[in-house]
Amino acid sequence: MIPNLIGITLLTFILFHVMVKDPATRFAGKYATAERVETIRAELGLDRPLHEQYLFFLKQIVTLDFGRSWATKQKITTMIDDGFSATLSLTIPPFIASIIFSVGLAMFAAYHRGGFVDKAVVVTCLAMMSISSLVYILFLQNVLAFQWGLFPVSGWDPSWTGRWEYLLLPWIILFVLLLGSDILVYRSVILDEAYQDYVRTARAKGLSNRAVYTKHILKNAMIPVITMIVIGMPFLITGSFLIESFFGIPGLGGMMLKALNESDFPVIKAMTVIISIAYMFFNLLADIVYSLVDPRIRLR
Amino acid sequence: MLGCAPASTVNMVKASNHMKLQMLFDLFVMLYLLALMGDRFDNYRADHYTTKSLKPASVTVKGMRMMCSKVHRFFQLTTFIKGLALCVAVSLVTFGLTGCTKKVDDTDTTINIPLRANVKGLDPINANDLYSSMVIQNIYEGLLDYHYLKRPYELKPLLAEEMPTVSPDGLTYTFKIRKGVRFHDNPAFPDGKGREITAEDFIYSWKRLADPRNASEGYWIFEDKIKGLTEWVNAIKNKTGDFDAPIEGLQAPDKHTLVIKLTQPYYQLQYVLAMPFAVVVPKEAVEKYGAEFLNNPVGTGPFMLEKPSDWIRNSKITLKRNPNWRGETYPTEGEPGDKEAGLLEDAGKPLQIADQLVFIELTEDQPRWQNFMKGNLEWVEIPNDNFDSAVKNDKIVPELAAKGIKLQISSAIEVVYTAFNMNDPILGKNKDLRRAFALASNIPVRIQRFYNGRALQAQGPIPPGLDGYDPDFKNPWGQFDREKAKEYLAKAGFPEGKGLPEFTYETLADSKSRQITEFEVQNWAAMGIKMKISTNTWPQFQEKIKNGQAQIFGLAWGADYPDAQNFLQLFYSKNVSPGPNDSGYKNPEYDKLYEASLKLPPGKERTELYKKMRDILIEDMPWIFGLHRLNYRLTHGWLRNFKYNEMTYGIYKYVRVDPKKRAELKPKL
Amino acid sequence: METHAQPNAQPNSSELSAPQSTNRRNSLWWDAYRRLKRDKVAVISFWIIVAYVIMAILAKTGLLFPDVNASVGDQYMPFSLEHPFGTDIQGRDILARAVHGSATALSVGFIASGIALIIGIALGALAGYYGGKIDALIVWLYTTVDSIPYILLIPSLTFVLGRGLVNVYIAVGVTSWVTLCRLVRGEFMKHKSRDYVLAAEALGASHARKIFRHILPNVAHIGFVQFGLGFVSAIKFEVILSYLGVGVDPTTPSWGIMLDDAKLELSRPFWGNLLAATLFMFFLVLAFNLFNDALRESLDPKLKNK
Repeated sequence: MIPNLIGITLLTFILFHVMVKDPATRFAGKYATAERVETIRAELGLDRPLHEQYLFFLKQIVTLDFGRSWATKQKITTMIDDGFSATLSLTIPPFIASIIFSVGLAMFAAYHRGGFVDKAVVVTCLAMMSISSLVYILFLQNVLAFQWGLFPVSGWDPSWTGRWEYLLLPWIILFVLLLGSDILVYRSVILDEAYQDYVRTARAKGLSNRAVYTKHILKNAMIPVITMIVIGMPFLITGSFLIESFFGIPGLGGMMLKALNESDFPVIKAMTVIISIAYMFFNLLADIVYSLVDPRIRLR
Repeated sequence: MLGCAPASTVNMVKASNHMKLQMLFDLFVMLYLLALMGDRFDNYRADHYTTKSLKPASVTVKGMRMMCSKVHRFFQLTTFIKGLALCVAVSLVTFGLTGCTKKVDDTDTTINIPLRANVKGLDPINANDLYSSMVIQNIYEGLLDYHYLKRPYELKPLLAEEMPTVSPDGLTYTFKIRKGVRFHDNPAFPDGKGREITAEDFIYSWKRLADPRNASEGYWIFEDKIKGLTEWVNAIKNKTGDFDAPIEGLQAPDKHTLVIKLTQPYYQLQYVLAMPFAVVVPKEAVEKYGAEFLNNPVGTGPFMLEKPSDWIRNSKITLKRNPNWRGETYPTEGEPGDKEAGLLEDAGKPLQIADQLVFIELTEDQPRWQNFMKGNLEWVEIPNDNFDSAVKNDKIVPELAAKGIKLQISSAIEVVYTAFNMNDPILGKNKDLRRAFALASNIPVRIQRFYNGRALQAQGPIPPGLDGYDPDFKNPWGQFDREKAKEYLAKAGFPEGKGLPEFTYETLADSKSRQITEFEVQNWAAMGIKMKISTNTWPQFQEKIKNGQAQIFGLAWGADYPDAQNFLQLFYSKNVSPGPNDSGYKNPEYDKLYEASLKLPPGKERTELYKKMRDILIEDMPWIFGLHRLNYRLTHGWLRNFKYNEMTYGIYKYVRVDPKKRAELKPKL
Repeated sequence: METHAQPNAQPNSSELSAPQSTNRRNSLWWDAYRRLKRDKVAVISFWIIVAYVIMAILAKTGLLFPDVNASVGDQYMPFSLEHPFGTDIQGRDILARAVHGSATALSVGFIASGIALIIGIALGALAGYYGGKIDALIVWLYTTVDSIPYILLIPSLTFVLGRGLVNVYIAVGVTSWVTLCRLVRGEFMKHKSRDYVLAAEALGASHARKIFRHILPNVAHIGFVQFGLGFVSAIKFEVILSYLGVGVDPTTPSWGIMLDDAKLELSRPFWGNLLAATLFMFFLVLAFNLFNDALRESLDPKLKNK
């Protein structure tokens, strides 16, 4: 974890410094003078040697204080706090709905493996995945919100009671976006299980196909399914920056994109660290879950 | 069946309550039928399985029994259909219910204003972007302001009693400050009551602007202009100075007199004092809130941010009426046509300040447009792609006029241009080549395609409405003529573009800039000039320009104040990068005229100089002068006294909403 | 768990022989080919992909719509026989843009996933084969790259490299090798202690020979499947990057830029760009997805007795 964190911070740091050679010119404004650029460089700490700047970055991580945004001068911790609630309320409902729906449908498809239903499910999923996420957003926003007026076109209400109205359409789109790949992933996970030896044994015992599925495969497939869910969880934080920017939802993804567009390094730093830690955490969690539920894991 | 569901909910918004209930009932019936159908389907599937897919006969009976079990149902497709139907039902019903609760309050005077970008902060020294300024100027006030209705733009006193007295040498300005003006009530003050402003407050605010530790972009308004300020700044920078140290050029002989002493004549001083950078802020609040001052604004204006939570980040800012505001009367004069437009109906009457001002941040065109059409915004700029549905032949279309919507046109004081890097070994040295580029650039078609004709072709650097603009002047190399362009290209030594390297056009990454650039490049390609497009984020774009790495680039310059000097300084050789002279143009003759013009007060002599400077620029062609945009706005019938002002945004004290009319018109939208 | 039987594991054949020496007709690849050929969907998908490739080559060589950046008439012309998807804001034929866009997409797919393939297999093989410190280093590298969100990594890489097609190849390529690397490493670890490798070692085979001649052919099917998956995601990435304005140079036709144009035009309403870009992308990606699926199934030994 620690070596990884160092790698991540180092990579972020290098990428940013190669990406924007001199952010001070942008913050000096249209009437900049060489002197003013110098002042601002000092103000942003950009005149210090690179290794010192990097150590400062590490210090920020340890103290979890990322200072203020360069672009807006707002406190980054507040910005992230605000973003978290928006992002989570955007991503959690479709994430859960998609899991429930797709595990069910994947079971259904796996049960009829090779049959018409299975093929139809697979082809539909692949077709759904063949359309760019951009198209779903553009099309559904235009048709459902603009032309039919079923949903607000975009916007945000920070109160818990008011926000769902703005979230409805993003939820639907996100659900549709998640569905295709989720179904296929869970289907293949369940099918993997269907070729295990115990299944053959159960069949040999004379159990019906249906009983094999409900009594054995479903139970056992839950292990990899849960693992897949845990691995997928970082999505909850990164969300969909495209959806956030289209629907004006002030979440973390949109914040990241804006920070990239404004060379707002403190925000980029904070976001990278948070997202990377989340990735590592959920991966670790997946490993733990896996080994807890399935003792065989140690043998592999 | 699915087809009728959306249609019925669309109607739901407009339907009466009775009809809505009926529709909800219908919806339930429909979904119930759907569920029933699901059961049928279920049974059908069951039959299907027993006969076909279950092979061993011995387990068939067992299997059939199991089929009835709930576990088995898990596998049935119909469960999903039902689940989906339920989801749709719940969402449609809840949506329908929220549709029912909307009613327009006929006493509400709130003004809802669209913002095209997010507000960053409300600290005036960082008011470097348009959208933060739009909010800031309704909270804070400065010494001077622009007249609300008069065009061309004219200054008038705001916190000053009257216009300043200027010494004969033009170096000393004396302001009398209005008495009895108080800051907003705020816990920063000893008893929570707003303190009266004094001349010292202005000195404090301007020192704060100049303080290098604050790194304000706005310091240029005073830089090298006020006696002793540069020394004070340097002392602070070298950590030898004290913030409270006096500055020779900023003095307050008594509580209500402010004397400014200049190092050189600066006829633009009065203009810059009307900018949001120069407003007055209270020391107490700055000290109390420190870095959080940007979220806790305390000014003297007609509106105030009552509590920080009224600002919902990236969403909206609600300002409340300042109950202690001193009051003002509505202007009695305007430009011709204002009377006919109903803008002088309140002339001379005390202003009626709206209870609330809500700035709504909507960064995408379509949501903004849609919200205006639903009456959630009082006015909107017309997006390009909706223009044809709203305006025909510069008149609003009858369908919109019937809803009480009006059209208002104002011209932005700006110039959109394409600059050449004058330090480029090929472009910078070859006047004829630049002329060829300009002649091949099809500005009239560009105006039609990308601005719906809402722009004037620029014939020089000075936009209409300012001294030195000449409506009859035509730039000899500015009119699109591909044949002539080819001649000049040959004259420049590159017939048909032979011998030219591939150029790079730097532009911004947004869709609009990219499309316009594609069009420009296409025009030049038709002449044999090869060009690559490089799209940038704003900081990268700035960096490339400021470091002289951009070869050709498209930009716009909006006026900081209505004086052609603000445009002509863009070519002054001492302003080269990182200053505002982005093309790096240098011409001693031009510099001499520019320096002479600075020493002249506004008048005929100065205007003549401006014209001479324009002619030099046209001859040398460091830019392709593009266009001056016209802003087309739609306003709702209930919005009164609204006249957009391109120079100041503190206009909402004059504007009011007719709540009765809104209650009458809005439901019909 | 020993279901990943090596392809030559027939009852009679010796465990000692490398796969090449067995009967070709019984090899994994031959088997997969036979099964693919039987799968109608896979065959159709394959020919659709071939059709796209031919179309792209024709477009690139100037035989099809040579003047893609030139105006052919007014802006926003409606759909007609001459211009099936109408014309865009610049008055250019949208069909031509979409056809040339497929060339862009295919080249990004091939080259970017090619780069990912090379990096992934090379690093995965090194890590899995040698183990120890090299393994630790490579595992560190890919977990690090994997933990940085793509929405940061790819745009910042394209910021660094600048705009343009080549930079999109590199940016997408160097960020999408992780899964492949992880899988190849796992397979190498499994295979290096197998009898046939040990036997080769006993016969005096060098490291290079063991890696390239013995183990690599046995794990190559993973590379194949991953290449297909990478191809699809590279195409999708290109579209999103170009849409965001950090992808290809706008003078290169791209579906992402068409969608960016479409975003503004939908309120007119003008559907040409959205429709053309979506349809062209849909059929290519669907064909690839279906083919990949069939390929994976045909190469997966577990599914043999299906």
